[in-house]
Formats: sequence, C-alpha cells, structure tokens
Amino acid sequence: MKRSTKRKLVNAVRFVVLTFFLLLVVLPIYWMVITSFKINQEIVNAQRLTYFPQVFTLENYQSLFRMLDYGGFLRNSITITMATAICVVVLSILGGYGLARFKFKGKSAVLLFFLITQMIPGILVIIPLYVVFSKAGLVNTHFSLFVFYLITNLPFCVITMRSFFERIPYVLEEAAYVDGCSRLESLVKIILPVMFPGIVAVFVFAFIGSWNELIAGTIFLNTPDQWTIPVGLKSLIGKYSVQWGALMAGGVLALLPTAVMFIFVQKYVVEGLTSGAVKG
Amino acid sequence: MVKEKREKKKWIYRGVKTKMEPYFYILPVMVLLVLMFGYPLIKSVIMAFQNYKLSNINNVYFNDLANFKKMFGDQNFLLLLKNSVVYVIVAVLGQFLLGMILALALKQKFRGRGLYQSIVFLPWAFSTFVVGLLFRWSFNGEYGVVNDLLMKIGVIDKGIAWLGTPGLSLVVIILAMIWMGIPFFGIMVLAALQSIPEEVYEAAEMDGCGIIKKFFFLTLPYIKPTIIITVLLRTIWIFNSFDLVVIVTGGGPANYSQTLPSYMYTKAFSGYDFGLAGAFGLLLMVILGIYAVVFLKISNYDKAGDF
Repeated sequence: MKRSTKRKLVNAVRFVVLTFFLLLVVLPIYWMVITSFKINQEIVNAQRLTYFPQVFTLENYQSLFRMLDYGGFLRNSITITMATAICVVVLSILGGYGLARFKFKGKSAVLLFFLITQMIPGILVIIPLYVVFSKAGLVNTHFSLFVFYLITNLPFCVITMRSFFERIPYVLEEAAYVDGCSRLESLVKIILPVMFPGIVAVFVFAFIGSWNELIAGTIFLNTPDQWTIPVGLKSLIGKYSVQWGALMAGGVLALLPTAVMFIFVQKYVVEGLTSGAVKG
Repeated sequence: MVKEKREKKKWIYRGVKTKMEPYFYILPVMVLLVLMFGYPLIKSVIMAFQNYKLSNINNVYFNDLANFKKMFGDQNFLLLLKNSVVYVIVAVLGQFLLGMILALALKQKFRGRGLYQSIVFLPWAFSTFVVGLLFRWSFNGEYGVVNDLLMKIGVIDKGIAWLGTPGLSLVVIILAMIWMGIPFFGIMVLAALQSIPEEVYEAAEMDGCGIIKKFFFLTLPYIKPTIIITVLLRTIWIFNSFDLVVIVTGGGPANYSQTLPSYMYTKAFSGYDFGLAGAFGLLLMVILGIYAVVFLKISNYDKAGDF
C-alpha cells in the first residue's frame, strides 16, 4: 500500500472512532436536557417519543425549586466540597513530597497501607464512623461528611501528587538550596509553581470525588437543611412517584457546575498527568 | 563572620533534621488515615463476629461464626457472587478497551482537540447518581429512548423491559458503569502515551516498523505500568461500588442485579444488621486482597505496594 493511502486510511479510521465517542457522550446528555424541557404529557407518551420538545417548558425547573431548597443544597455542596478539596491538596502536597523526595524506614509499608485503604468497602468505614459521630453529636453536620470525604480521597491524591514530584528534576531544588533557600521555601517558591497543572489535577480529583458522593451523604445527613445536591435530589425518588421531568432538570443542574469547571481545567488535568504520568 | 556562623548553624540544623524530616511531611496524612481507616476497620472485624443489630443495640454479644454461616448460607449467595464477578470483569474490560481506543485516537494533535477532550471526558466529572438516573430513564420499558431507537432501526419490534428482566437489568448497570469509566482510562492512557518520547517512534519507523508492530513492541511496553495500576485500582473501586445498583435497579428484579456490596448495603441499612454487613465486608476485602496479589504477580509488576 502506498504511504499516502495508508495515511488517509488511518485518518479515516480515527475520524470514525472520534465521532463514535463524541456521540456516545453527547446523545445521553442531549436526552437528559431535552427531557427536562418537556411537559409531562410529552415525557410519558408511550405512543410517540419526541426527539425535540414540542412544547418547550420551564415547568420542571420551577417545580424542582418549589419542592426542594436547591440553593441550600448548592451552598452545602460547595462548602463541604471546597473544604475537602483544599485540605486534600495541602495534605497531598506534603505527603506526596515526603514520599517522592526521601528514602525512609517504612516507606513501602506506607504505600502498601494506601493500597489497602482502597480495598476497604465504604460501608465498613461508614458504619463505625457513624456510631462514633453519633456519640460525639456530629451526625447531621457538614463536618462528618468532610472527614469522610477527606480520608476517602486522600490516598489516591497523595500517590498522584507523588508521581508529579518525581517528574521534577531534583537539580531544580538543589539550585534553590545553593541560593540559600530552606527546603520548605524551595518547595513553596520553586517547586509548586512548576507543578501547577498537577495541583489543579489533584484538586479536581478531590472536588469531583466529594461533589458527586451520594451514599455517605444519605447516611450522615438527615435533615434537608444539611443535604448536599445528590442527597437532596435522591429525595425526589419515591417521595412523589418518579417525576422524570423534574429529576432530569435536577440532573442538569447537578451536572452543570462540575461540567463547567471540568471544561476549563480539563487541559491542566491531562497536562498535569502527562508531565507526571501516573507511573507505576 | 556572623553570616558564616549562621550558615554553619543552618547546615547543622538541616543535618539533624534530615533523619526525621520525611516523617514531618507524611505524618499528617498518615495519622489521619490510620485513625480514620484503622478504627473503623478493627471495629468492623469485631462486629463481624458479633450479634450487632442497631435495632437492638443493648444486646451485643459474640456469636462465633453465626454471621458467616448466615452469609454463606444465604440462598442468594451464589447469585450475588456471580453477579459481582460478571459486573466487575465486563465493566473493567469495557472501560479499559474503549478508553484505550479513545486515547490512541487522541494521541495525534488535531484542530479542536482541546474542546473535543473537554466533551468526551465529561462523564468522568458526572455524579453516579445522575448517570444512574439517566440510564434508568433511557432504558425505561415504556417511555425509554433506547427501546424506541432499537425499534426504529428494526432490531426489535416490541419494547424490552430492560430493568424488569433477569440478566438484562445487570446489563444496564454495566453499560452505565462503562460509560462513566471510559474517560478515566482515556485520560490516564493518553497521559502515558504523550510521555513517550517521539524519537522512539522515529527510530522504529526508520527500521520499517508498521503500525501494529509499533503498537505491540513500543507503545504497549511503555504504557504498561500505567495500565497495570489503573486496571488494578479501577477493579477494586468498581468491585466495591454499589451506588449504580441502588439507583438503577435497586438490585431487582428479585436480586438478579444485586452484587455483594449492594446486598451488604441493603442488609446494613434495611435490617440494621451490622454484624452481617461486617462479615460481607471482610469477605470483599479478602477477595480483593487475593486479587491484588495475584494480579500484581502475573502482570510481573516488580514494585508491589508501590502503586
């Protein structure tokens, strides 16, 4: 086969593949969005499914806001998630740096421990924590959920951060020492700016991990004023027989913040991981 | 003179510090994790051997292996085990293969790649809850869009009750899990692909290597560590995850889409039988522990524990 025909063939295959994945992602989202703008008679019409709303309505969004304190959920979600993500970033920088730059006794035990934490089923952590929290009067507080999200996101984030640090040449730090910087100074002034994409990546991991969590939320929080978005939305199921229009509207609103954030930072995530490609 | 002295002092100071210094960095993380994972873990192991029911919290006592007998004697046990294994294997394989194909297609730069990536990687940022709902709605037997599309292209002529049919309900859960997981593999593999130096490929091309040869002898070995680690982590996470089951089918019909962890969740929070839940949890950990050891061994991963 001639070289140019071969190249054309490869490009054609790539085009088909890329289109496939685009549709795979876009179509379900499209379906959710248009369902949220349909009136109920159109949604539950078994005779004829419409692929575009015949009657465009905001009724689903309005009824969602009538039934739930969506603004309150949003505020709760933001509080818990931001607190978690910031603490995870700070602790992962410290832990990741320690694991990347030093040899010390018990290092492999630490890494093994991290792997084991990943194997523990969430429920096994939630139940005893719930018992402890209820004794301490912490059930139904944001703090309880913050603690849970912090520990569940930390292990992966520390390891990811470590691989970012390992990609940064030690020479860079040595140069800083020669200039009279202490280790912490060089970490803050020299290393962290270089690692910016990696830090964004870890922040996003932790943010998404806690923003979307449902199970622990439903267990730890039991009054609507404390609920996060997924917990609040879940209350729509069963309470009123499933209202698909309102649920899809809630889904759209739940996905919007993370989607917008992700579109902006996606570049850094891939870049951060590339420069520190999660090596083994 | 003064400056010299200070510098000497600083140097000594640093010398003393080095031995303890690494611990200063990892101590905060370790203290937190050991406490918050260690205590619940020990407590759960103890509960697994106890009659521990939240409905009867004043009557907690050791009951030998009663919880384990109850677990293995459960009439659904084999079904749960089978579902869990099918779920985890198909979901991980599906995500891995599709994610890999996506990453390979994205390796070469093209116009609008940044925008394209932002869109195809989106499901990774989505909440399991919303994705679960979306799939439950799309596969709805009466008003679902999947049935409608399949009828339009003539694959079926009557709507299928996806969520109400044994076997099929698990398929929907698996599809949702694959859909959500493609981006994670895509991002990880893409990152690994992009860190392969270009010269390696140029050299191979000079030697007349074809695409397939290049893939198997160059690309694959380079990204192997990433693949091993992502597959390992992903398998563990998916095996333990049950929110999709709860959201999409609730385990139905009649436990046909129930997995071990989702069953454990139901037992823990509908029957408040924490002892039995503890027994299930231990079983899950043992299975995953064996899996991790075997997987790292056969994949020839030389840095065990170093994930």
